[in-house]
Amino acid sequence: MQAPFSPYLTAIAPGLKKLIALLEERYDYASVLSTDSTGFAVRISQRAKSVDNQTMTTERGTVARVYKDGLYSEYAFNRFDPDHPEITFSEMTAALDAQLALLRRAGTKPYETPVLPDEPQTLSVEMETERLPETEDMGRLIAALTAVSDEGMARGRDLVDCAASAQSTHICKLFLTARRDLRQSYVYSEGSVVCIASRDGRTEMGREGLSGRVGPELFDDLRGCLDEALKSVEELLSAEHVAPGEYDIITSPDVTGLIAHEAFGHGVEMDMFVKRRALGADYIGKRVGSDRVTMHEGALCAVDVTSYAFDDEGTLAGDVTEIDHGILKTGICDALSALRLGTVPTGNGKRENFEHKVYTRMTNTLFDSGSDTLEDMIASVSFGYLLKGYTSGMEDPKHWGIQCIVEKGYEIRDGKLTGKVVAPVVMTGYVPDLLGSVSMVSFDRGVFGNGGCGKGHKEWVKVADGGPYLKAKGRLG
Amino acid sequence: MLNTLLDLLKNASLTGWEVTDTQTLGWEFYLIGHRLDQHRAKQVEHIRVKVYVSLDGGRLLGSASGEIAPTASRADMEKLIAELKTNASLVKNPSYTLLPPSGAPKAAAVPAPDPAPIAEAFLDALADLPETKTAYLNSAEIFANSIRRRLITSTGIDVESVYPSSALEAVLNAREGDHEIELYRMYESGTCDKAETLTSLNETMRFGVDRLRAMPTPKLEKADVIFSTDAALAIFDWYFIRMNAAFKFRGLSDWEPGRDIAPGASGDRVTLTAVSFLPNSSDNASYDAEGAPIRDTVMIRQNVPERFLGGRQFSCYLGLQDSFIPGNYRVEGGSRSAQELREQDHLEIVEFSDFQVDPLTGDIAGEIRLGYLKQGGRTTVVTGGSVSGSMKSFINSLLLSRETRQYNNRLIPFVTLLKDVTVTGAEA
Repeated sequence: MQAPFSPYLTAIAPGLKKLIALLEERYDYASVLSTDSTGFAVRISQRAKSVDNQTMTTERGTVARVYKDGLYSEYAFNRFDPDHPEITFSEMTAALDAQLALLRRAGTKPYETPVLPDEPQTLSVEMETERLPETEDMGRLIAALTAVSDEGMARGRDLVDCAASAQSTHICKLFLTARRDLRQSYVYSEGSVVCIASRDGRTEMGREGLSGRVGPELFDDLRGCLDEALKSVEELLSAEHVAPGEYDIITSPDVTGLIAHEAFGHGVEMDMFVKRRALGADYIGKRVGSDRVTMHEGALCAVDVTSYAFDDEGTLAGDVTEIDHGILKTGICDALSALRLGTVPTGNGKRENFEHKVYTRMTNTLFDSGSDTLEDMIASVSFGYLLKGYTSGMEDPKHWGIQCIVEKGYEIRDGKLTGKVVAPVVMTGYVPDLLGSVSMVSFDRGVFGNGGCGKGHKEWVKVADGGPYLKAKGRLG
Repeated sequence: MLNTLLDLLKNASLTGWEVTDTQTLGWEFYLIGHRLDQHRAKQVEHIRVKVYVSLDGGRLLGSASGEIAPTASRADMEKLIAELKTNASLVKNPSYTLLPPSGAPKAAAVPAPDPAPIAEAFLDALADLPETKTAYLNSAEIFANSIRRRLITSTGIDVESVYPSSALEAVLNAREGDHEIELYRMYESGTCDKAETLTSLNETMRFGVDRLRAMPTPKLEKADVIFSTDAALAIFDWYFIRMNAAFKFRGLSDWEPGRDIAPGASGDRVTLTAVSFLPNSSDNASYDAEGAPIRDTVMIRQNVPERFLGGRQFSCYLGLQDSFIPGNYRVEGGSRSAQELREQDHLEIVEFSDFQVDPLTGDIAGEIRLGYLKQGGRTTVVTGGSVSGSMKSFINSLLLSRETRQYNNRLIPFVTLLKDVTVTGAEA
């Protein structure tokens, strides 16, 4: 079935168009992004159960963007009467005028930017899904999650708890200008199983998740995560600390994705080029990795939680080759940054929600596959680690530092896994050194869309990332 | 709209319900250098509803929550309540009693703060920044919010909080020739304390200039590490979360009331108190999100857990009386001055990529962006490498300075020293 577009947005669209007409009498450009995204989040564990109709991306509201005298201004609101758009017009202009008065008093000049183009365009996309979150049988879902939790407790050793979680969101977005009318509707879902065990004064957590641009049918496969979560927590309970140093490493696809995200994903967000906060701006056309490194970014280069039809500025989704055989080709760009840099937007202008500003943000960020097998990669390592799972990462576009906190590493000696596990593993280093050391790339790859991504320490959005197994050199601690 | 929603809830044959209505007026300025990238205003209202259904003859209590739009029709409200009621009947938690009213006045009869002067004070602070050709502002984001939050429950709670909440994100650069570095800061507070903001930004610019001459962190294996910036918050948040009622009930904290968490500790012992008020905190409140009164309460005294605190459900499960969800906390200073703690060889790290303490395992981790390595009376500025180790061992010998420093909703020792931290150098 196709995910139906929001009746609410359909109903208020004529009123929003009247609002745009009023704004165009006063400003040189006006657009609105209106959202109506619904969903659910369920978490079932032995100790506590919860259900909510709010997820990270559920929202209903509107943001209007206007332009005059080289300056962009925005007003976010969620009390809109489509029969009386003049009320919102008055509130919006009063608020923005008050701000401008203050800015004039403070002597703050605008960072002058050209006006956005507004070519006629119409699009209406309702993407495929088997089921919808708003009509999901919650009784059946909660029973299934309870069964996973119960089975985990029955099978696990020294388990404190086993939690099964499911979130599904039906995204509906409407982008309007005087000449453009874009509408999209799609569903994405994500689930996870978390096992927590305590033994000999040590408490550890093993987890496994799955995600996709699909409906709640995704959760039919959630039980498959339990085996890996149980295995992981057992390994972590007996893990040792890694001796600090530089090692041969093989990154599993989830860690490869984290590197893609932190190393060059953030590093080529071109709003950072405008602020001169990214070293990547000076390296376009230059080598930043080995010949084996090719990286793509875009809502179209995979189908996962953030594979939309258009971004939050009405730019159609894209697929950008950021690194081609080790050479940095280009970055990703939101619409205003593209105007400032004299380039074209890539469909990466995203907001945390309608209340937040647009930034250049990632969608799907992936290393391309190679031709090696994991077995050959392991056989080539005399002493090193196969890294799997991650806790977090942190970008550093200005200096190309990288911090990845990896869940665990499997020791490899003389071309074989020894069975010894180290955890947690802090991988740090200089991005070009890390990518320059990539010497083998597997033919298979994975994409992962659980969790969220911040910019600095805020602005949380959904992203997906991944790639194949990579063999490289990494500094671990 | 709110009255209709309340009427519908009262007549929905529910065991209980809660409604939280939060209205926010926000002003935002985004700057590239000192030029205006864009400005934004927001005027939004979010209404959260939670319903409770008694199950299995009162042995179980189900609950479900959700948000409803402020423009929702009566039919929308009826639909939401019906859905929540159905969902609540499926979520079978052990029963607990809903929070009764505390007898406090219904509403804070004060006008909502104006975000304009808050935003203006941040602009003034940035304008007064003593920039040079070597150290200067790269970009900044200013957020000034005026928030009015009202909580109404089926048990008779009807309280309102009105408060400011603001933030400044500042990126500061330092440059020497072609070598340019940046330092990132995120300050959160109630309103803008211009003097405090300028002091902190000046300190950050000094760090930036120092980073220009930083050397790769050498292989140290182990070092005593001093934390003197906001990274130290992660250390005390670890203590704080382990005293959270939900964390305890879920079996994630093995701390017990009255049992020393580090018997025989040779260092300073931690005393952590939940407090209702800290100057200019964005978390100052008389009531928590569930309407429970917030009182100054010692949670850990001299390394001995005294009071777990948290939301109603888990507090009831643990049998905690007069519990609440704390917002601010204060950690007492230690026995030595910051200067005394800096006398011995150490690595003082003032800038991390993202310093973290795993709440479950106590493992610490962070990439070093700027540190001062003191060895044999000589201090070297260093960058790169990382720290690791576990709070479970560090608590036996941690040292705290007498002096304290406030970061929004947390008042902590000015200097915290962890002994024998594993330091992975940046040198090959």
